[in-house]
Amino acid sequence: MERPVWLNAYGVYVLSRYEHVREALDNNQVFSSASGVSLNDFMNQALKGGLLCSDPPTHDVLRKIIERPVMPKQLNALRQQIIDEAENHVEQLVKRDRFEVITELAQHLPVTIVSNLVGLPEAGRERMLDWAPANFNCFGPADSPLTQSSFPILEEMVKYALEECVPEKLKAGGWAAQIWEAADRGEISHDICPKLMNDYMGPSLDTTIFATASAIWLFSQNPDQWDTLRANPGLIPNAINEVVRIESPVTAFSRMTTVDHEMSGHVIPAGSRVLVLYGSANRDEQQWENPDTFDIQRDNASEHMGFGFGEHQCVGNNLARLEIRALLAALIKHVERFELIDVEWTKNNALRGISKCNVAIH
Amino acid sequence: MPTLIYIEPHGSEQKVEVTSGKTVMQGAIENMVEGMLAECGGSCSCATCHCYVDDAWVEKTGQASEVEIDMLDCVTDRRDNSRLGCQIKVSEEHEGLVIRMPDSQF
Repeated sequence: MERPVWLNAYGVYVLSRYEHVREALDNNQVFSSASGVSLNDFMNQALKGGLLCSDPPTHDVLRKIIERPVMPKQLNALRQQIIDEAENHVEQLVKRDRFEVITELAQHLPVTIVSNLVGLPEAGRERMLDWAPANFNCFGPADSPLTQSSFPILEEMVKYALEECVPEKLKAGGWAAQIWEAADRGEISHDICPKLMNDYMGPSLDTTIFATASAIWLFSQNPDQWDTLRANPGLIPNAINEVVRIESPVTAFSRMTTVDHEMSGHVIPAGSRVLVLYGSANRDEQQWENPDTFDIQRDNASEHMGFGFGEHQCVGNNLARLEIRALLAALIKHVERFELIDVEWTKNNALRGISKCNVAIH
Repeated sequence: MPTLIYIEPHGSEQKVEVTSGKTVMQGAIENMVEGMLAECGGSCSCATCHCYVDDAWVEKTGQASEVEIDMLDCVTDRRDNSRLGCQIKVSEEHEGLVIRMPDSQF
């Protein structure tokens, strides 16, 4: 395997091979998140102490609190509600002969859930979708216009978190309220609570929305796969893995090495920033046979890096799966074929996704 | 290609030929055996591919890893012979392996 590439323009090493990506994500002692996971100093400083940019043991304490409502056991209580919500929404949608996938399908569940289950106050909810892309654009290099454009938007989010996501305004018993309750119990400090609000708001919208839209687009391009799925709905979970593998909504994060570390014969010095490419790992022909083929019966689809891996693996992955499962389960009942009318992709520093996609349904 | 015997929640038997290298979970899902959900698609992160390995086969199916043991905490009606189907790789020596599905995955 080739040694990691040194990207001179940004002063970072790049891990693009599946094996290297998996190794880095699995080894948080060498590949630390505590010095930030973005490509710019501003964000790396700003996020210090939060869940994303922390290492064990700090990380573990925060993770245990944030993951509580989205662990499989807790999600069981929401299962039927989300399935019903998806059913109702799809039933209405398929009465038409065409729809726009992002605004009319993919956004529905994430936005509903983030608002209701997280328990955010009404004020500001309508800004949620505008904030979503900024949460990932902000991770780019400092000199990128996309990165710069995200900062004022994030300021708005921070203000919202500080002023609106407070116990007296949050829905009682909601996920956000539970974080404050954890602080009341002394599990974490109250100071960090506003920052943790973003751990529910930030990563839960565009990521799931893009995965959902990608699924529909992929099925429109691979109708035989849709036929296979309709014949055996039990394949939905593996299909979701394959969608996340091949389209990788989250494309990259970074780490910083804490010690010298050898990879494929080259030593990455301590204190190096390393760009970890999830999407690249997910298309690595050394790991995947015909990596660019969408195959919902791919045996090793579950080994993808699309939700990350190791300690920082996407804490909301089971929630995302539940949302997308519910939508696909409803759609297979009503749709024989998706016919693509048009599709456009968005531009984002750390996300890959569709900005607009119109399909006709048969 | 070993033949596995899956016993579905209501007791009916399904004899299924499973390609070596696939997991017990994949054998069930791909052949529409009832009682298997596998909501994370085999990533050992949802505990809905819960199954009981028949006592006679416990040795031949190996031991659960630490990650699997942690996830088994989430299953309903956990027993000594509980396993997560996505963590058992099928091989030629599993000819006749009996896997019982639980009443419910959640």
